[in-house]
Amino acid sequence: MTTAIHTFNLVKSFRKVDALKGLTLNVPEGAVYALVGPNGAGKTTAIKVLMNIIRASSGSAEVLGVASSRLRGLLLAAIGYVSENQQMPEWMTVGGLFDYLRPFYPAWDTKLEAQLIEQFDLPRNRKLRHVSRGMRMKAALASSLAYHPKLVVLDEPFTGLDPLVRDELIQGLLERAEESTIFVSSHDLGEIETFASHVAYLEAGQLRFAEELTSLTSRFREVELAFDVPPALPQPSPKNWLQVTASAAVVRFTECRFDPERTAFEIRTAFGEPRSITFSPMSLRSIFLVMAKSGRDSA
Amino acid sequence: MNQIWNIFRKDARHHWPEIVASLALLAAFAWLDIHTWGLPNEVVAAGAFSFVLLFRILPGLVNVLLPLSWIFLIVRVVQGESLVGDRQFWVTRPYDWRLLLAAKTLFVVAFVNLPLFCMDMFLLAQAGFHPTHYLVGLLCMQLMWTLLMFLPAAAVASITRNIPQLLLGALLIALYMVGMAALSQVVPNSSFSGNGDESSGLLLIATAAAVVFVQYSRRRTALARWLIAGLCVALILVLLLTPYRSLIASEYPASKGDFPLQLALSSAENNKSNYFPGHYGVASITLPLSVSGIPKDSFLELDGMIVTLTNSAGLRWDSGWQFQARYLGTDVSVVEANFDMKQKIFDQFKSAPVNVHLLLAFTQYHDKNQRQFIVPSGEFNLPEVGRCSSKMEYGHALGCQVPLRRPTPLLITSETSASTCPITRVDTKPTPGHFARSISFGESEPAEMGISPVHQFDLYLSAWDWASHEPMSPGICPGTPLILSNPELIGRSRVELQHDNLSPTEYQQGSGKTIQ
Repeated sequence: MTTAIHTFNLVKSFRKVDALKGLTLNVPEGAVYALVGPNGAGKTTAIKVLMNIIRASSGSAEVLGVASSRLRGLLLAAIGYVSENQQMPEWMTVGGLFDYLRPFYPAWDTKLEAQLIEQFDLPRNRKLRHVSRGMRMKAALASSLAYHPKLVVLDEPFTGLDPLVRDELIQGLLERAEESTIFVSSHDLGEIETFASHVAYLEAGQLRFAEELTSLTSRFREVELAFDVPPALPQPSPKNWLQVTASAAVVRFTECRFDPERTAFEIRTAFGEPRSITFSPMSLRSIFLVMAKSGRDSA
Repeated sequence: MNQIWNIFRKDARHHWPEIVASLALLAAFAWLDIHTWGLPNEVVAAGAFSFVLLFRILPGLVNVLLPLSWIFLIVRVVQGESLVGDRQFWVTRPYDWRLLLAAKTLFVVAFVNLPLFCMDMFLLAQAGFHPTHYLVGLLCMQLMWTLLMFLPAAAVASITRNIPQLLLGALLIALYMVGMAALSQVVPNSSFSGNGDESSGLLLIATAAAVVFVQYSRRRTALARWLIAGLCVALILVLLLTPYRSLIASEYPASKGDFPLQLALSSAENNKSNYFPGHYGVASITLPLSVSGIPKDSFLELDGMIVTLTNSAGLRWDSGWQFQARYLGTDVSVVEANFDMKQKIFDQFKSAPVNVHLLLAFTQYHDKNQRQFIVPSGEFNLPEVGRCSSKMEYGHALGCQVPLRRPTPLLITSETSASTCPITRVDTKPTPGHFARSISFGESEPAEMGISPVHQFDLYLSAWDWASHEPMSPGICPGTPLILSNPELIGRSRVELQHDNLSPTEYQQGSGKTIQ
């Protein structure tokens, strides 16, 4: 499988602060790839390096087969980029923005433009400064999709948007997912889970894991063990057990390498035979929270 | 090309209020300029307040506001696609930096250069000068504005995010310039020598161009700002490290036997200086030098001098090179060399005789291509000058309008006794054999930098022999015969003069009294 984005040992330092500490990432073509992580994890920095907005301190990054440091001019005509804190030309009307951008893109599709404007219910004649934040994001997204980009890069696109607008944006994205690779950073995991095919977890500038969402959700389980008497917790507990807690005769933890037989064997080895074992699937949000709290390597 | 046009149209649409304001100021400038041509200062000063406002205050204001409006327009258009920061929408769009830069350049050419060029053509035509004859000069004016004003403005705009940041930058630049001006006063000989000015100008242009290039091609704001900081340091170093004395010495080699000048220090009684004493804490000294040996059809300019005083106690004081700008013709018998020294230092020398060493820098000219010209009445074309007419303001003179630059080099000589002007401001009629002159050394470039290509230029005659008892020239009036000539540089030399046991107080301005 070819990759739309590939980084190797990417480092970005701001004076004495390392925002990225050797990020190695492969985003397959056609994926809807979510880069998640807490605030300050380095998601925006990584995206800015990929988009050649800032330069990496060391390491390499390739976007659509081109070194990201050379990404400029017409090469950007194949990439759509939307960021929550992007400064738009607010004096322009929504229609004016489209009119202005159209000549920059050889592959601009006016039919698709009209379709997106209608789909997002964008007011053509209103200035960007006079529309809501959600409307501005939709305008930015529409203006980044109207030329059939091979890659769409979204940096926290859902922050501060109401659920209706989020749904509209996701719907708009998904309709174009077949023709594009979508790389999105977010900490809105509830939304990501609904459409991402891959997820990578970044924390303190380091990649904790990166894999397909189905694989991730299948290997994480919330485990609840019930005993007749309060058991002693194993010291140390297995590495793949996160957030091990005990409350009276109930032990709970998150298994990050779930395999029914192996996990059951490990439980018996640690505690003997419990009265009951419950394995519950976890949402991406729960996985994210456990990862963030434990701060341990689950990869 | 499509991208250039697209960005250009967007900028024109966005910045139309600034464009309109700039064009309105340009129109106001043209109107005021035309209506103030030939308007005597005395008439303006004597008029009602509204007249003074219209023809003196308003032109001054427009003169300042118009370049500011250009700078503002350039700043706005450059910052329209801000090169500072990482949140601008355009940096992730398929802009080609060369085309973006070309679009911004096109904007400046279309809304700053072109209107200025058209207005300059219009003003020349209004003044009676055929604009197409002066295209090279007009283009030269555009180039000077572009390199010395628009390019630096674009450079500063390219490293600032918005207008407040730019104003902060402008404030820092202003403070730096004040500091440099103060420093140049302290650095000996720097103000006399023009050396360093050209290299400083070239450094400024090169740095501004480099900053614009770095920002548009790479958006490396930190590097661009360091370049400007480097320029500031380089200019200081140029000022401090230029070997002014050596350069002046090589520019004015020591005179040899063939230098046509005999100089001697005259007694203080010959001191009839027009040099006005300096300000508080400064002693102004005038040394009258008797002059002879200047060949016919030649004249000299005393460009500057160094005075070195030494007293019997071994105390030594050196003035450094100081400007003089005095002309010496065949009819000049005495030239006065002036210099200032701090009163405290003067007090250390005044009580006892001192040895004076003078190093005088001269430029010798051949008064070439002499031809007679009788001043007609009314408006007339004065060859190599422009359109002139007699005027009476601070004296009888010629008021001229000149295209692009003041005439260079041009010497106008008139025998004071041949003046046809009524003798109203002198006691006695001038005697034959005495001359008054007006000399012009304009810019050597095809044009002077300015908004208007039509320059007002008054020709007043004055005597070079200030120390003579001759009454001043009655001036230039219709019928006055003039001799026009084009001085040709022959060479430069420095002459040394030593005079021992001189009493400093005798040569101090203010009758030998300390100026308090």
